[in-house]
Amino acid sequence: MSIDVLPVVRTLTQTQLNAYADASGDHNPIHVDEAFARTTPFGGTIAHGMLVLVLIAEMMHAAYGERWLTSGKLKVRFKAPTRPGDTVTASAAASKQADGTAEYAVQCANQRGEVLIEGRATVSAA
Amino acid sequence: MTSTARISISAFPRGHEFDASRFSLSAEQVAAYLHATGDTTDYGVHVPPLAAVALGLSALQQHISLPEGSLHTGQEAEHHATLRCGDELTLTGRIAQRSERQGFVISVIEFEIAGGGEAAVRARTTIMAPASAA
Repeated sequence: MSIDVLPVVRTLTQTQLNAYADASGDHNPIHVDEAFARTTPFGGTIAHGMLVLVLIAEMMHAAYGERWLTSGKLKVRFKAPTRPGDTVTASAAASKQADGTAEYAVQCANQRGEVLIEGRATVSAA
Repeated sequence: MTSTARISISAFPRGHEFDASRFSLSAEQVAAYLHATGDTTDYGVHVPPLAAVALGLSALQQHISLPEGSLHTGQEAEHHATLRCGDELTLTGRIAQRSERQGFVISVIEFEIAGGGEAAVRARTTIMAPASAA
């Protein structure tokens, strides 16, 4: 049975991007070098997609606990860049339940309502 | 992990298999990852699957370089079993798809992280990289 999945909201900072680069080993300058990033089409640094995706995983884990760790599936597309200072809201809407799994349409959006990440999450409903 | 020459992702053909990497994630590494992400969930001794994916991608970057202008455009992850901090992990990966469009090479890296011989996480990462870097 699908259960309610509560949104997760977080404001991302450049400090956090720098810390994530250190923790993940992904020091691509588009994430951490403001001077370089200003010369790109993005016009400034952008968050690692995996850093933003964490909000969806955190949200699903909060609802399903260990079941998410052992049966969760995520499939998403990164639709738009997340910038330092953006407040990101991860949310989920139950879309269907079949074959013992619950499926959700999931997304992350910023404070302007722009969709940053979009996709689906499934988890064993048993 | 040993270091090897890194090659632009767009130069790898479909079907290329990367040498297996062996690594483990310490409780300190996982704590640093969680601190950086802002995730305050108590996972106990478990490694959050996305941490394994992110750090697995980092391990793959001993083989792959991402040229300027590369974008991470899609991500899939399937969780099959829990991983614990300190587990000996094996990462195997390959280029599952490769196509070219509008000056970009779109590569899908498919990889698996196993602990104790059992697949724990399977993931597919889609990267768009400038074709000129191939």
